[in-house]
This record gives sequence, structure tokens and C-alpha cells, in this order.
Amino acid sequence: MKEFAYFPGCSLEKMAESYHLSALETTKKLNIKLQELDDWNCCGATTYFYIDELLAYTLCARNLAIAEKTGLDIVAPCSACYKNMYFTAAHLAKDADLAEHVNFALEEDDLQYNGQVNIKHLIEVFAQDVTAEEIKSKVTRPLEGIRVAPYYGCQIVRPQKEKEDVEQPQFFEGILSAIGATPVNYPLKMRCCGGSLIISSRTAALSMVRNLLQCAVDSQATVIATACPMCQVNLECYQQQVNQEFGANFSFPVLYFTQLIGLAFGISHKKLGIGKEFISFAPSLLQAGQRKD
Amino acid sequence: MEKKEKIGVYVCHCGTNIAGVVNVGEVSNWAAENLKDQGVVVSRDYKFMCSSLGQELIQKDIKEQGLTRVVVAACSPHLHEATFRNACKGADLNPYLCELVSIREQASWIHTDKVAATEKSKALISGGVARVVHNEPLEPLHVPIHPATLVVGGGIAGIQAALEIADAGFHVYLVEREPSVGGHMAQFDKTFPTLDCSACILTPRMVQVGSHPNITLLTYSEVEKVDGYVGNFVVSIRKRARSVDEASCTGCGICWEKCPKKVVDDVFEAGMGNRKAVYVPFPQAVPKYPVIDRENCTFYIKGTCKACEKFCPTNSIKFDQEDEIINVEVGNVILATGYDAFDARRITQYGYGRLANVFTSLEFERLSNAAGPTSGNIVLRDGKTAPKVVGIVHCVGSRDKNYNEYCSAICCMQSLKFAHLVHERTGAEIYNFYIDIRTPAKGYEEFYHRLLDEGTHFVRGKVAEISDAVRLPGEEGKLIIQVEDTLTGNQLRVPVDMAILSVGLEPRRDAKNVAKQFGISCSSDGWLIERHPKLDPVATVTEGIYIAGCVQGPKDIPASVAQGAAAAARVLGKIQQKEIALEPIRASIREEQCSGCRICNNVCPFNAILFHEDKMVSEVNPALCQGCGTCVAACPAGAISGTGFSNQQILSQIEGLMLLNIKTQIDTVPA
Amino acid sequence: MTDTIAFSQEVSNLLHAAEGEPTRACIQCGTCSGTCPVAGYMDHTPRQIIAMINAGYKDQVLESNTFWYCASCYHCTVRCPQDINITELMYALKRYSIWKGKHKEGLVGPTFSEAFVKMIVRGGRSFEPILAPSYIFSFNLREMLQEVTNATELLLKGRLPVIPARIKRLASFKRMIGRIIPMGGLE
Repeated sequence: MKEFAYFPGCSLEKMAESYHLSALETTKKLNIKLQELDDWNCCGATTYFYIDELLAYTLCARNLAIAEKTGLDIVAPCSACYKNMYFTAAHLAKDADLAEHVNFALEEDDLQYNGQVNIKHLIEVFAQDVTAEEIKSKVTRPLEGIRVAPYYGCQIVRPQKEKEDVEQPQFFEGILSAIGATPVNYPLKMRCCGGSLIISSRTAALSMVRNLLQCAVDSQATVIATACPMCQVNLECYQQQVNQEFGANFSFPVLYFTQLIGLAFGISHKKLGIGKEFISFAPSLLQAGQRKD
Repeated sequence: MEKKEKIGVYVCHCGTNIAGVVNVGEVSNWAAENLKDQGVVVSRDYKFMCSSLGQELIQKDIKEQGLTRVVVAACSPHLHEATFRNACKGADLNPYLCELVSIREQASWIHTDKVAATEKSKALISGGVARVVHNEPLEPLHVPIHPATLVVGGGIAGIQAALEIADAGFHVYLVEREPSVGGHMAQFDKTFPTLDCSACILTPRMVQVGSHPNITLLTYSEVEKVDGYVGNFVVSIRKRARSVDEASCTGCGICWEKCPKKVVDDVFEAGMGNRKAVYVPFPQAVPKYPVIDRENCTFYIKGTCKACEKFCPTNSIKFDQEDEIINVEVGNVILATGYDAFDARRITQYGYGRLANVFTSLEFERLSNAAGPTSGNIVLRDGKTAPKVVGIVHCVGSRDKNYNEYCSAICCMQSLKFAHLVHERTGAEIYNFYIDIRTPAKGYEEFYHRLLDEGTHFVRGKVAEISDAVRLPGEEGKLIIQVEDTLTGNQLRVPVDMAILSVGLEPRRDAKNVAKQFGISCSSDGWLIERHPKLDPVATVTEGIYIAGCVQGPKDIPASVAQGAAAAARVLGKIQQKEIALEPIRASIREEQCSGCRICNNVCPFNAILFHEDKMVSEVNPALCQGCGTCVAACPAGAISGTGFSNQQILSQIEGLMLLNIKTQIDTVPA
Repeated sequence: MTDTIAFSQEVSNLLHAAEGEPTRACIQCGTCSGTCPVAGYMDHTPRQIIAMINAGYKDQVLESNTFWYCASCYHCTVRCPQDINITELMYALKRYSIWKGKHKEGLVGPTFSEAFVKMIVRGGRSFEPILAPSYIFSFNLREMLQEVTNATELLLKGRLPVIPARIKRLASFKRMIGRIIPMGGLE
């Protein structure tokens, strides 16, 4: 039984609740326990860093300090949360002066951070902490015939942490293959969805979303799988706006990878939060000959 | 009572370099007074000791005052040690009785506190004086130079070097790993900026090398072991079995014609074409004898076929031929092993290996070569479609901290050449994507202007990515090159049919091993290191080993030829002198104290220590020893001392530095 | 003689993670701007901004929308041949711009981010509806209608938070922030 300190992040409460539900369901099946972090605060997304660097590191470090008390490593399902916490920990490890400042502030909440926590993205748990064989062994309804575009997005792999492949990684495809789906060659799989630009520079973000959707269509995928709530919302909830802005007619299902894994594991739609999407996945499932739950 | 030495101390001003910080007059007087009982009989200061007048000062004192030792306090010994030693020699004083003390690099150039620098200079001179007392008159070692030379690498640099030495009347062993000489130059179609046909200018030289009476050409061979020292190297060369009897083979070509086994030629054809299992790499190969690639030959794999043997008119196929080990004695070695191309697969966003019509420069050379796999037709991977739009990408894997930080020197000219060839042979529209256009040598800038005239589109921007994902109409079926045109500030998506990556040059994958074999070093990039980056580009720090061509760093053909000739000239100079004088700063082992533990044998970086089994003692070969001192420190019995760096000399110098032997008390230097 | 500090140095001072002055290393190759997915919407490409910083064109840099349009995707950073962290540079420019209160007219970014941070200081967690006023009024009618439609659909699917979440130890959280930034600026 592997245990991790689970940092859901603000969006997983409501906006991306299906990610949260499917994450817990699928990890449970794989004998992994996600223990939610006590009293965690917002990681800052991108905006903290617009205001003040030191504040941003401090707010993130509070979560690291809380996790350190549990002795567990952190798992974050959201790419932005993951990136922020990973690099906060990395900077604190390298810069003693920064660590001193941050710990000085953390004192007020009876916390200290001593560099003992590792941070993982949820998808890394599926890619590294379990083997493809273990995943396969839990599959009761392989997603045969379902062509999935593996959308990595940007902040899972970038900035580069060690020497990993930042241009053509394959770990997402590996997971999709393990559940019997067909990962397609998706050339724009590493491109940004626009993130918070959907609010602050809407047209720019919509054009980025449009390119991603068009590429998914061109790659003959039936669904896009994402690993970040921001990506899912941008890609799915704004398809109407994209259609209006660019004269297109997209209606492309976008699901979380954990929902797809859950489907393959035979878990019920309700438990995976399926049904909360704007664009239903059911037609594609039917088309591929999968039974509708 | 020991006979006291008569020491002369000379303190140089070096203009204001020293005198501007150190009070040279004070230092000179101090030496005269305080070092008197150590033997200092005269102490002078002078503006420029290295000038002829300064040297004459020393010589006059030696003659008139009968000096037995000289200490010069001036710049670093790297600069003028030889100058002052020669001056002493000129006055009949053994040059090794002259000691240099650096009060410039070690005092005036690094301190701003004048008082402290002056005091430090006094201490340094005191150290020098204490040491020089224990110097012994030494004679340089003379070793004979064997007149033969080993040239490793049969590319243009190696060929040039070999021909120059052979033409001068001395023997050369030219060792080449591939079945034929020629190197990368044999793969090219045309060479910049003259657009000479590469094979046309290279093959005459290759033929010369193959038939020269003074050159022993050993192809399909590699150096296995190197022993010895300058003037006397013993090199073991493995001549790999061609499976062809060179004595009877006429090079008629029937064997490779009849051979049924096709193999992708990864080396000469850069993977663009095939050869047979028995082959010559290209038609003008020198020597003309083919080679059987045993890894791919049906006979060696399964024991069948033997078509070549059946059809050979002179019975020259010898399947049981074995590798031959040839030992040669040479006086000097020239390493000219060339370069490897950067592996473009590392830059995944450029799509090489994933997108069919992305080519590397070497692949394109083979495409454009009339004797190449497409007979010189510039076509896409399908072998027939001519491209309508071609994009040439500069700086692939060069000038990039993610891959290689250096500039590969030749890719801009090469990219221009490609643009010209595409223009000449096809009607295609051409784009060159660059950061800077580097055209420094003769005729290069003019070549660039010629390209401008031809109508090539030059886009100043480093290509961000090459993709086949369509976004806009007109992009279907094309490769999209995404780049910022920095001169207009716009992000462009340029649809092309063919993309050519001008990949950078890298050291050979096994360059480090070759360097180790010959006892020289590589830089952190992997290029072999020259003795001095500006003033001595073909020599190395190991006497007798020279480097030429791209093995030393990326360069074009004229520069490689120049370096080949330069290395040859250096070798000829050495051969002509018939013997070489080696610095006598060497380690020596006192036999009586040696316990035969052999620790020194293993620590010596130059393999200079032999072990005598019969006497159970080690002995330093003074010709190989470079005087690094490692063994001196390593010996647990203290049986090894360095001539010129004896324990007595070093310890005295330390005592002198600490002013322990000065009777009068000096104020401590202010903190 | 006054000791004026160069604009490039000012920007570098706001870049905690970087050493020295990273903009100096730029060889103006354009890889960043060739890669940037938003470059087409920026006044100046990222490369141009770096050139302007090095040339000291402070006002022009602050007047451009470039760094406000940066999506922090880090693609420029992983490809830069001189290892410049361009994304962090964009963050530094945002910080500089907010600190000096100088930026292009009509940008949503500055007000949105200030509202975001104030929201966090208040409760420790994000609550999207509260942010709406900071950007909705910059939308035209059609965009506003789209946003309302979206929000409604999210609400119907149970994906819109209606009750703001708060952390438990809010008081000590605020004191913790107070040790970094004087609270007056944020409340």
C-alpha cells in the first residue's frame, strides 16, 4: 500500500470534481492511498508570482511544511500546483537565504519546512509508482477502439527538472496503452492551452484552444485526455466560444485520464464524475462498442 | 665548512608592471643586506631584465664576480626562464643554476597593497635564494629521433601531412580505420567557396598516398597500443582482415557485383544508399581492394553463398584471413582523425528521424553527389519527387547550451553551398534560416553575395520547430518550419517540402580513448588539446605527438590542409635535427631505497616507470617522464626525487619564504 | 555623479531565481519568439522585449502587452540556446509593472491578479465567482453573454463553487503573510 499526501488544489473541489473523484477511485483500485493534506492553501497558480516572489514561495511552502509533518510525499493532480510546489521546494533547497525568510514567515503558523518532501504529479504515480502490468491487471473493460489524444499540456514537463525528454515524452501514451485504448500521434500534445489567458487575454487563449482541438480532429482522435483541470476547462468549456470566434463547429469530448482509467477498471460513471462534462463522451463510447453504464 | 656559493640577485622593474606596486629598490637593497650570509654577493634592480642590456648585466657579473648561482626576480618563468637560462649559458654558467622568482604574477599583479606586495617580494626572493643553493648543474637529455612517422587518420589533413613528409624523403605509416582513405571530404559533392568537385581535387592526393614509395598505407586498420616516447615510439597496429588477398586482387569489382547481400551503408552513404556485404566504400577508393563485412556476409553468418569466391578471376577471396598485428617504430605521431556529425535526433522538435523529409547535411551531400544513391538528383525520401520549396536550417546542435555551445565554423558556408546546389539543380524556392551569417575566410563573403543574387530567401531566426501538424490552408502535406523572422519581428510558419539540417561538428565518439592511448588530453568538449591555442595549434603538451585537422576543432578544408602541412613541417624539423634535447627535470628512483611495491608504476600518467623483475625495483624512463612529481609524492619509502625539485630544494625554499634563515627580525606584514 | 541603475539590472533584481543579469546572455536568435504560442497576439515578441530591456527602453517595455500575454508555458525557456529563463523574466516584468503601477491601458491581467491575491489573503483558497468583477467589465457585450452562459452551464452541472472555501487557520495564515508583505497593500 503506497501512501501519499494528496494536494487536490482549489479547482478539484467543484470545477474539476470529476478529476478528484476519479483520482481517488482509480488509486484505491491500485492500492494507493491519497491522504488529503490538512488545511492546505491555494498554491498560487500563476498569479502569486505576478505580485511578489517571496510571498509566492511562502504560500506554497506552507503546504510543503504541512506535508513534511506527515512524512509523506506530495501528489498533485493539477499541473500548475505540481509545478509551483516542485520548484518552490527546489529553490528552497538551493537557497538557504530564501529558506530562512520563508521559515521565518511560516513560524506564525507553527510550521517549518526542512526540505524533506518530494513532489509528484498524479500522472507520475501511474507512470512510475505502478507498472503497466499492474494497471493492465485491473482492467476489466479495455477501451478498445477508443482513440485518445494524450494531452500533456505545458507544466507537467516544463520547466525541465532533470534530463527528462521535454519535447516527445511517451509516459502518457504508455498509460493509455495499458488500459487498452489507442493513443494517437498528437503533434500538439506539448502545447499550452492558454491557462489563465482565457480570462486575461481571451482571444489569444481561444486561438490556442482552437489549434489544439483542430489537431485532435486531424489526428482522428475521439477524445482528448488531460491531466490538468485548467486544461480540461479551457479545452472543453470554451468550445462554443471557439466556434463563435473562428467559425468552427467543434464538439469534442475532453476527459481526465483518471476517468478513462476508471472506465477501463469497470468503475461506474457516477463514481468517476462522468456526466459533468459539457460535451458527452457517451456517443464515442457507443461508437467504439463499449457498453454505456 | 661548505664552500659558499656566490649568488647574484636581479630584481626587474618590468617598466611599471612590477615597480608600480613593489618598491624594487628597497627589495634589492634588502636582499643585498639580509641574504649576505646565504651567499648573495651582488644585488641589482633594473628596468627590463629580459632586454639584452639586462642579460648582459648578469653575464658581466658572472664573469667578473665569479657568480655560481643567479636568481632573477621578474615575471613568470613561463615567459623568460629560457631567456635567463640562455644568458647564463652564454657566460658559461650551467643554465640550471639560474632560478626565476615571479614577483609580477605572484605579487605586483595581484595585490594592491604596495607595502604588503613589497614585503612579499622580499620573502619570495629569500625563498629563491635558499633554493638555488641546492640547485645542481644539469644537462639536458639527448634522445635520437627515429626518422619514420605515424599518421593516424586518412582524411584530407592526414593525407596532406603524409605526403609532405614522404615527399621530403622520410617514411610514413598512414593508418586509416575505414577501408579507404578520403575521410568526410570524399562524401561531399562540391566544396565551398570555389564549388570545386570534392572528389576531383581529393582523389589525385589519395592516389599519390596509395602509390608513394615512402608511404605504407594501412587501411581498415586501427592503432592498438602505443609505447615509448618522443623519437622512439613503438606502435602496435591491428590490420583487420579484409578477407581479400591484396597481393592478387586487381580491384575488378566482380565480387561486389555478384554479391547477393545488400546492406544499408551507414558510413559513406550516411544511410541514404546500400552497398554489398563485400564492397569498396566508393568507386575511387584507395586502396582498390574490397573488404568483406563479416557481420553481414552470409558466409560468416550461415556458412553458405561464397558467390564472390566463385566468381573471383584471381582467386583472391580468403575467408580464413586473420587480423594482422603490425608493430612499427616511429619518431613522431600526427593524429588527424577528424570529426563526427552531431546526431540531429537529439533535437526532437526538428523531427529528424520522425518526419521523412527532414535531412541532415551529410545525407544531403550524398543526395547531391553525382555518384550518390540518387545520381545527384535532389529528391525527397520517396526517391523521385523533386521538392518545390526547400528550407535550410543553420546552427543545428551548435551555439546552443542545450547541446554544444561552440560554433561549428563551417555550417554557414555549407548551408549557402546547399542553397546554391538546390538552386542550380531544381527550380525550388529556397529558405535559409540563420542566426548570423559567418563567412570569414577568403572568398566566403563574396559567395554569400552570390547567393543573395540567386534569390534565396534569408530569414534571420533560429528555427523553433519543424512539424507536420496543419493549421492553416496551404500547409497540407508540407513540413511547417516555425520561426521568428527577427528582422521584421513576425512569427512565421513556412511550409516546405524538404528541410535540410546543417548539423554541427562534434569530436569523434572515441576521441577520448584515442587521446588516452597517445597520452594527450581532450578539452571538456572532447576536441584534442593543442599546446597553445594561439601560438601552437598543431603541437600537444606531449613531445612527439602532433594534431591536425578537425580533431583539434571544427574547421574548413583549407585550414585542415594548412594544419596537416604545419604538423608535417614540425615533424620534419625534428627528424632533421636527428636528436632531441629533453628537459632534465625528471624523477629518479634511488634503487637502494626502492622496496619494489610498484605504487609509482600505477600512478604515473605517462607510463614512464618500468619495473625490473630481476632486481625487484622500479626505474623511471627519463625520456618519457614529464616531471609531474606524482610518483615522488606517492612513494611510501621516499625513494623517488625529482631532479630540479629535490626535497632539499623545496624545503629550503619554504624556509626561505618564511624568512626563517634571516638573522634580523622583520616586522610582520600589516594585516 | 548620480548612480543610476540600468533597467536590465532593475529587472534582474526582481528575479530571485536568476543570477547576474540574464538578459545579457541573449544572442537575439529568436527561438523563444518562434516557439511562443501567443507571439502573434503580442505587441512585441519576447525576443524584442529582451532587446528593449538591454537597450534601456523602460517605458516602451512597460507599455507593451507582451508579458501580460505570457501563458507561462515555459516552452521558450526549455529551448533557449543561452539558457535564459524567459518565462521567469516575464514574471519579473509583471511584478515590476504592478509595483510601479505602470502598464498598458485596458489589460485585464493587472487587476485580475491583484484581485486573485486579495482573495487568497482573505480566505486561503480560490473562489472563482468573486473574481468575476475584476474582468467581466472589460468584456464586450457578446463576451459578457458568453461568460454568463458558461457560468450558468457550469452551475447546472454542479461545477461552479457557490460557497467560498476557507482554510481553518486563517488568522495565523494572515499573520504569516504579514511577515512578508505589509498587509495594507493587499487588503
